[in-house]
Amino acid sequence: MNKRIDVHHVTRVEGHGNIVVEIEDGRIKECRLDVVETPRFFEAMLRGRPYQEASHITSRICGICATGHATASLRASEKALSVEPSEQTQLLRKLTFHGEILDSHVLHAYMLVAPDFLGVGSVIPLATSHPEVVLRALRMKKLAGDICAVVTGRHTHPIAMCVGGFTHFPKPAELENLHQRLVAARADVDETVALFATLHWPQFERDTEYVSLTKPDEYAFIDGEIITSDGARLPAEAYRQVTNEHLVTHSSAKHTRHLRQSYMVGALARFNNNYPQLHPRAKEAAATLGLKPKVTNPYLNSAAQVVEIVHCVEDAIAIIDRLLERGITSEQPAPVKAIPGEGVGVCEVPRGLLIHHYWIGEDGNMTGADCVIPTNQNLANLEADMLALTPLIAEKPIKTMQLDLEMLVRAYDPCISCSVHVLEVEPK
Amino acid sequence: MTLTRQQPGTLILGIGNPLLGDDGLGVRAVEILAGCDLPPQVSVMEAGTPGWGLATWLEGWSRAIIIDAVHMGGAPGTWRRFGPQEVRLIAQDEIISLHEPGLVNGLELAQSLDILPEEILIYGVEPGQSEPGQELSPAVTLALPELVDAILSDLWNGRTKHG
Repeated sequence: MNKRIDVHHVTRVEGHGNIVVEIEDGRIKECRLDVVETPRFFEAMLRGRPYQEASHITSRICGICATGHATASLRASEKALSVEPSEQTQLLRKLTFHGEILDSHVLHAYMLVAPDFLGVGSVIPLATSHPEVVLRALRMKKLAGDICAVVTGRHTHPIAMCVGGFTHFPKPAELENLHQRLVAARADVDETVALFATLHWPQFERDTEYVSLTKPDEYAFIDGEIITSDGARLPAEAYRQVTNEHLVTHSSAKHTRHLRQSYMVGALARFNNNYPQLHPRAKEAAATLGLKPKVTNPYLNSAAQVVEIVHCVEDAIAIIDRLLERGITSEQPAPVKAIPGEGVGVCEVPRGLLIHHYWIGEDGNMTGADCVIPTNQNLANLEADMLALTPLIAEKPIKTMQLDLEMLVRAYDPCISCSVHVLEVEPK
Repeated sequence: MTLTRQQPGTLILGIGNPLLGDDGLGVRAVEILAGCDLPPQVSVMEAGTPGWGLATWLEGWSRAIIIDAVHMGGAPGTWRRFGPQEVRLIAQDEIISLHEPGLVNGLELAQSLDILPEEILIYGVEPGQSEPGQELSPAVTLALPELVDAILSDLWNGRTKHG
């Protein structure tokens, strides 16, 4: 039996990647995801720039995780410069972060994943066949964007967030309005859970090491320790012991590995590692979706995103309650206490663990930066899944095989454009 | 069926990534426009790379003006004004816009959902280089003030139908 699948490029993912699977005489000869994007050199772009610009520059790494990059960037600078943000700053950052997670997960679950299950090629025919589904997605997406705009002054690339705090503060009436809309959005959230509970997820199990941040008292999105399902627990500063970035020949993005040959980051890893800290309504949603940690079917990453949609809506409501109760102060950013310095900022962005590591010189200019992006960390695991899945589906017609593999890639919600930033030319 | 009620007004959207050279020219253009004297009921918005989100930003406005880098086969810095119908024609040859999902997909989605503004006007500028970097090419830098003047003049003179 000879079969060759060459998907050039995989659609409904961010950026360009090719699936190459070749079976010869019943044996797998090739099985890989080629990342064919051009490297983007953001770290080099940061060197020599004032640290105050870093969050604005890095927020442009991604049109989806802009707040995530900006937040990791601010936390890296703050750690480097011994800046301690106020409680209000932390609450506002968490709120806008929820907006971005919501925005990204709604985009992925509805626009990129749902078409596979509802038997259409993309969201465009879905808009005609199931307009109520797409309009619901856009309603939620708009609310998510409006949360970011109210808190950070712009829908996608935050303006008002700076090292130590904010330069602009939401008015109580704006927060009340968001609160009202979030409460009303519960109906859309419930519909979302109900819709995704009806989908028939492909059956495929492969246990791996799940890596995420963790915090004792909340479902970690900003700061925290790095924890893995294989029992490791490390401070963020020790991230290199987890990521072990290395080059592979067929990808312009680096691969990572920890205790096994590969690990997984993202919504499923967070769900597996931090289930106890989920909001009770999110736990109910997980039950409706049939999820119970530890989940080892990577296709269910999209279902874990739906659980997080519920969590973020509920937690955003709680944060706004807290902000309104304590009142919003037009406070100055927390001061820089030490310069020069080195710091590591960590966040759980929609696709998983994001790390910014900065070196800031005495003059306040960046002397170095290292950014480790979630998609990079998932690439080796995604290939390991492809390798385990292929023999199980090898008897299927080639088109079905191809769809199974494409859906697997899409389940990881890869942001290939973002991941391609670290190509290094090795000296001969 | 729509998300919110249609409001009379014009939204000017700048599209692109300012870290990719001329790809960010739409963003640079709305930055200039934001500091100009605009007619009433005209808002500017820096959309970045909105993908499918474009549909959500367009919804509710009676008119949208979109500024973006567009490969049209002209010299860098040349620009033209056109309507969405032409975009779709060009898009079949995959030569429009540098984003994915791009301007065309966003417009198509909004159209499928019947939430497109009544009038859409696109100012496309031919990019010179779209490599990583925050600088615009000299040709595009020269073209932007002229483009902004033309948009302002069209807005104030009420000349909005494309052609």
